[in-house]
Amino acid sequence: MPEIVQIGPYRPQLLEPERFELVVENNKIIDANIELGYVHRGIEKLFTTKTYMQNLALAERICGICSGVHTLCYAQTAEGVIDVTVPDRARYLRCIYMEIERLHSHYLWFGVVTHSLHENNAFLKIMGEREHVQDLLEYLTGNRINYLINTIGGVRRDITSPKTERIQKVMDNMKALSNYLLALLDENGSLTKKTEGVGILPKDKALDLGAVGPTLRGSGIESDVRKDDPYAAYGELDFEVITEEDGDVRAKSLVRARETLESIKIIEQALDNLPSGEIATKPGEPLEKEEVGRAEAPRGELVYYIKSNGTNIPERVKVRTPSFANDFTLIEMLRGDLLQNARIIIESIDPCFACTDRLTVLDTKAGKKRRMILK
Amino acid sequence: MSGKTSIYRFMSAGCNGCDVQILECLVPRYKLADLGVEVVFTPEEANVLAITGGINVKGREELKKAYEKLKPPKLVVAVGNCAITKEIFDKGYPMVGPPDQIIPVNFYISGCPPRPQAIVTAVAKALGATLEEKEEYWATPEGFRGKHEFDSEKCMGCGACAQVCSSDAIDVLEDNGKRFIKVDYGHCSFCAFCQDECPTEAIKLTKEYHMLTDNRNTANVTNEVDLFKCASCGTYFIPARQVEWALQRIENEVSEYKDFHRNLRTAMELCHTCRRKISNIRNAKKLLSQLSPKVRAV
Repeated sequence: MPEIVQIGPYRPQLLEPERFELVVENNKIIDANIELGYVHRGIEKLFTTKTYMQNLALAERICGICSGVHTLCYAQTAEGVIDVTVPDRARYLRCIYMEIERLHSHYLWFGVVTHSLHENNAFLKIMGEREHVQDLLEYLTGNRINYLINTIGGVRRDITSPKTERIQKVMDNMKALSNYLLALLDENGSLTKKTEGVGILPKDKALDLGAVGPTLRGSGIESDVRKDDPYAAYGELDFEVITEEDGDVRAKSLVRARETLESIKIIEQALDNLPSGEIATKPGEPLEKEEVGRAEAPRGELVYYIKSNGTNIPERVKVRTPSFANDFTLIEMLRGDLLQNARIIIESIDPCFACTDRLTVLDTKAGKKRRMILK
Repeated sequence: MSGKTSIYRFMSAGCNGCDVQILECLVPRYKLADLGVEVVFTPEEANVLAITGGINVKGREELKKAYEKLKPPKLVVAVGNCAITKEIFDKGYPMVGPPDQIIPVNFYISGCPPRPQAIVTAVAKALGATLEEKEEYWATPEGFRGKHEFDSEKCMGCGACAQVCSSDAIDVLEDNGKRFIKVDYGHCSFCAFCQDECPTEAIKLTKEYHMLTDNRNTANVTNEVDLFKCASCGTYFIPARQVEWALQRIENEVSEYKDFHRNLRTAMELCHTCRRKISNIRNAKKLLSQLSPKVRAV
């Protein structure tokens, strides 16, 4: 007799509130439903009440973990509408800031996962070392999260002499942390036992369900906006797109661990080749047009759409966040797996419900909640 | 409060930046565990409720339920500006909060997000304990965007900061010949657009990050400036310093207008209503003749 197990919505085993209804039979998950909406804030409507500049602060607060890439993608899209050229130095600086953000996001993910798997020593080590990245971000931008470093037409703060050395120093420490993560995931690593063969997402299913980012790359598909459609200075920098073939939680972890090393490589290259010049151009008047922009967030492909009517307030802003694309793959990964693995599977896509929850429909007229049911 | 402190985190409609900061508080270097503080997974085990994010329609009932299940003495702490005033999501249609309209809140930790150091200090303060604040970890770097500060010598009260503010945190209020520029830092997103746009560099975001309060109405920084009376009808309409600033700018940037300086001043000292009355030359002459003695006095 199948029974229904509820996870959430306000259960701190998950970093964020979300309700999962799992249909379980003999300790095996046979189906799952997801209910969203606990973090819904009406952001897309709010976008049309603020000016292009003010919206930078709003775009950033869609998600507190990948906040920088939201402003980058928003600014890049708005730059198409406003028609302003970004100086070369700003393009390189954007790469540096965004890769530091990717480091902090991936390390945080490892922190959350080791916390869920009760690997307390690993959790304390990862989070303790990660503080150096957070301190670096605070030192470079003036805030630990929501740093608002990208602006329309460039960046807001430059990286000059004492800052360069500090970045270099932190990156040297972070290489050690990344190698420690890889050691946790090698054949005898403590994470390997708990994640190997869990929550498998086959290659064809990953494509069918429209997975993005490390979730897709963990299933062996080479896809990265930084390579496929280079923005900022990524076209001029040398880096690899990391893929793993297995499609299980371990493969996704390995993708993230190896990506942190690539990020460090990108930061070092960008620092070495930093062009001189201005860091921002003053934006002009908005033109009457539409624009679509995309960027690679730590969780995958992020898409922004802006429609301008020539005023300083956008007419429509649409956001497609990576977590929304990845949510649908959860159903495939959960099905057929054991109940005790549910939490680690849900966490394996690095879900960011703050991102996703702009999209839930609330049918207030009928007084009913319209659920998102995935079958 | 005696005994063990168990914190239950209630994440509602926010960006989850504050949740990450709470997770970071558990790092050994902040020594939160030394105070006997632990983070628990159900409201039944907890006696402290930490709310992050504003509350939306879906979260309202859940918040009430969580509060009821809490063990006494039921201490509620709102962490971050969303939990204090809903911040940038203030006008979002699904928002019903802030939480203190739904359940009683004891402490407010302001910041977007508050630094882990601020949260740890606030917790220690609530417990009546003191923490060793190591310079290495607790100092704020140069360029940190913290609590606001006005340079009352420089501020002319033009309200440019209120215009560019991304989360409507700055109010321009007028009362009895004075203009008040009120920054509600419990509503601020610390984007520093006000600092960038201030024409006289009067508003600054300082390195101060301890913004703990038990009354959210006190979470503000205010500066007052004198208003100027209309030379014709006598109503207050513009800060006196702004007139001087504008005249100075005209003189500096369009020096050929220097000869008209006195005329410009006369025009500026009239409020919008009186200026509209100058519909033809005759009216203008009449008005000017009325004004001339006053103008000479200035």
